[in-house]
Amino acid sequence: MTFQTALGLSVPLAVSIAAFASALGLGKMGAAAMEAIGRQPEAAPKIQLAMIIGFAFIEALTIYALVTMFVLQTKIS
Amino acid sequence: MRFLLDIVNTAEAGGVPFLVNLVSAAEEGAGHPKGPPELPNIVTVIYDQFSSAGFAQFLHHWENVFFSLLIALFLGTLCHFASRKPQLVPKGLQNFLEMIVEGLSNFVCGILGEEGKKYVPFLGTLFIYILCMNLFGLVPGMKSPSSSINTTAALAITVFAYVQYTGIRKLGVLGYLDHFAGRPRDLVGIMLVPLMFPLHIISELAKPLSLSLRLFGNIMGEDVLIAVFVGLGVSILAFTNLPLGVPIHFPFVFLAMLTSAVQALVFAALSTIYFLMMFPHEEH
Repeated sequence: MTFQTALGLSVPLAVSIAAFASALGLGKMGAAAMEAIGRQPEAAPKIQLAMIIGFAFIEALTIYALVTMFVLQTKIS
Repeated sequence: MRFLLDIVNTAEAGGVPFLVNLVSAAEEGAGHPKGPPELPNIVTVIYDQFSSAGFAQFLHHWENVFFSLLIALFLGTLCHFASRKPQLVPKGLQNFLEMIVEGLSNFVCGILGEEGKKYVPFLGTLFIYILCMNLFGLVPGMKSPSSSINTTAALAITVFAYVQYTGIRKLGVLGYLDHFAGRPRDLVGIMLVPLMFPLHIISELAKPLSLSLRLFGNIMGEDVLIAVFVGLGVSILAFTNLPLGVPIHFPFVFLAMLTSAVQALVFAALSTIYFLMMFPHEEH
């Protein structure tokens, strides 16, 4: 197995695992935020801001995997 | 229209998978390593036509800076014309811009409190500039400068430097070091200082890194997605040999508009929170 083959197999897998995990995190967070807004509709803007910032933190982890993929992609071919 | 025809021709002639071929012809000519696919923009088209001319090479080399300056020029001109004859009761353009400024001011002061007024110009400019940069990639013939790591890293380093400067100004040098040591007030706190100090330094240094990588990854990801689907749409109709394509990338443009706005908001909001963390605060 050349290292190109190894990269070609593992890089998409890495991105998909990262996306899977952060999708779970995002779903949990979104559900909690929606529930909070449902309980207290007048606090919606504050909850939304906190939710979006939290989304950004979780999403950043997937983006790191994506950036790593772009870096390694040039080495495959 | 011309460059679309070029894309089709290269796809036909080369016989290679089309998606790989979407990498702008300019990049291939210069012998750069192939990156992810990107849509042709004004600069790459100029470089394609006059690749030996000095100005074209200069433009191609400073592509992202060129587009950033274009956006800065656009925003500057807009604000100049809006505030040339200020009226007490604003209407039209002035009204629109005042609405934006007021919204940003409320947003920043809502997080930082009254003393946040000082930071509204910096953070608001950051938001508007990043939003324009992100949306610029959706205009045909233009490119998002923020899809390059250099642009986003420059912005993140600016925020980092300003936040550290604010910390030293607000807390004093000793207070700043105290903040880094985790505010030791009792014996346990003092014993934890060797642990807290490197931890705080690493977390401070990780902030600009994650800020720049987040913006860069999101914007580049959306641009690559659109480029791939444009390539797919063009290659579906490639057999007709006409400069036509199926606009299957259309839904992703709306997704890109959403992520552009959210990423600009996130960058500004996180910068604001970094400022907040540097403010002197009571026992917590």
